[in-house]
Amino acid sequence: MTQAVSPECRAILAGISAYLDGELETSACDAIERHCETCPSCARAVDGLRETIGLCRGAARVPIPADTRDKARARIRALLKAGK
Amino acid sequence: MVRQAATGNTVAMERLLGRAQEVAYRFSLLVCGHPEDAEDVMQDALLNTYRHVSTIKDPGAFRTWLYQTVRNACLMKRRRRVDEPAHLASLEQGGVDRDGAPASMDVADSSRSADQRLIDAVMGERLRRALATLSPGHRVIVVLRDMEGLSTREVATITGLSEANVKQRLHRARLTLRASLEAS
Repeated sequence: MTQAVSPECRAILAGISAYLDGELETSACDAIERHCETCPSCARAVDGLRETIGLCRGAARVPIPADTRDKARARIRALLKAGK
Repeated sequence: MVRQAATGNTVAMERLLGRAQEVAYRFSLLVCGHPEDAEDVMQDALLNTYRHVSTIKDPGAFRTWLYQTVRNACLMKRRRRVDEPAHLASLEQGGVDRDGAPASMDVADSSRSADQRLIDAVMGERLRRALATLSPGHRVIVVLRDMEGLSTREVATITGLSEANVKQRLHRARLTLRASLEAS
């Protein structure tokens, strides 16, 4: 982990999120992809972050447990009834 | 749905209130990490949404308003606790402690509650644990952006940060999350 990071790699690493979020211009995307073809370390970092974001997106929408959901529905109905 | 609810459509209102409670539940669990607070935060979200709907002028802004409301409810809930860890303020400040270093996690070491088992079943214990290693300020950004799917602009509005700051923090948070996942 103490390995020196070149300025080019540092720039690539700083831009990975923007790259993966589709926020970079095509030319900047091309530069990252070209760099990763010859730099296994940066390529691993890009893949790792891509996987991490994928894990988060896949974990989205944690459902409410059935009993909590039932209580929530009951609260809503009581509120709407009282509000009428 | 927001517009319909605002004009008195009961079915739309019921759906909207259900959505508000889901958001409150997930936020309580994933960001605040205190399942025991979820019910109260859900109740706050319910009442606030019910009161707010009739005043909505821009339905497009409802989502941001809802997350802000839920976030504030979580903060208030935590502040009311006498034994509140000091670093919880970092949920507001963006996740750095007094020395400017990333604040430590505030997620209670909840002893595998039913809610946590549910989260583990859905997202996996590995990811939950990794998420818990993030500072509260970073965790809120990852949850809102990568899990809830909000835009950078929406996250900026909710957290009160600039868009550039949100992007910067999101990147750091993802790197930390990645490191935790690799270490686990």
